[in-house]
Amino acid sequence: MKKRSKIILGVVAFVLLIAAMLTAFFMLREKPDEGTKSISIQVVNSTGETKEYKFKTDVLYLRQAMDEAKEKGLEYSGVESTYGLMVDTVNGEFAEFNTNGAYWSFYVNDAYCNCGIDTQPVNDGDVFKIVYTKS
Amino acid sequence: MNVRVKDIVLVGMMVAVIEVCKAAFAWIPNIELTSFWIIIFTLYLGKRTYFAMPVFILVEGAVYGINIWWIMYLYVWPLLSFITVRFRKMNSVIGWSLVSGVFGLLFGLLCSIPYIFIGSFGTDITAGFATALAWWVAGIPWDIVHGVGNFIIMLVLYHPITGIFRNLKNYLE
Repeated sequence: MKKRSKIILGVVAFVLLIAAMLTAFFMLREKPDEGTKSISIQVVNSTGETKEYKFKTDVLYLRQAMDEAKEKGLEYSGVESTYGLMVDTVNGEFAEFNTNGAYWSFYVNDAYCNCGIDTQPVNDGDVFKIVYTKS
Repeated sequence: MNVRVKDIVLVGMMVAVIEVCKAAFAWIPNIELTSFWIIIFTLYLGKRTYFAMPVFILVEGAVYGINIWWIMYLYVWPLLSFITVRFRKMNSVIGWSLVSGVFGLLFGLLCSIPYIFIGSFGTDITAGFATALAWWVAGIPWDIVHGVGNFIIMLVLYHPITGIFRNLKNYLE
């Protein structure tokens, strides 16, 4: 009986831990600003050359902003995955770790993005950098 | 501990089993058998696991390249083995499923530790904790997948695999 109580207590604690983590996620996750925002997307290619796309947007997430930047000349593509789009080509330059040991790093205001492009929030004044990175 | 040829072979086999299972499940995000095998190997192969762990971590680094995640591997997997030793007298499938499940749930939190140092570089420790917190929070949905996956995997595989290890006891000593 004592063993059974311990098991029930353990399972309840496990479920409560999941509930606490979900609460933390919804309370603390990065959220995008609503409304019009001025943002910049900078692409740093393998030679260190930077190309900047500055514009105003209403979108909430980086991928939508990158789609809007296509009108200004940004080109990108990648592979869809459970985590969202894994970008491997930007402005015609291919970087994929398993193929050529390089990858595209994403930064927001000089800090490494914590989310993929599908879930990376866009806020007013954000400067995104997409940097060709050789491992 | 005297290291015999048999021990070296078992270390190689442990690493091979973990790596094959890791590759087989690579297509499902955060579902892995590494936690399951480290718990089982620690329980049934004892101190040999302490040799297998660094080999596994080195192989991972050699295959996928050394990066921040590799620093995390240096302490998260040995920690799971240490926790297993602490609970080694427990003989309950639900108990081990909870150990593996909670480890999966807290995996992101444990892995966020290096970001405290990365985030405080050039600023202060507060910025480091903020960076680690943001990194951990962003990955919480995947930590939950990891924890629930670990729980179910242990629940399903514990009895069949421990049964095999008990039958092999004489060969493994």
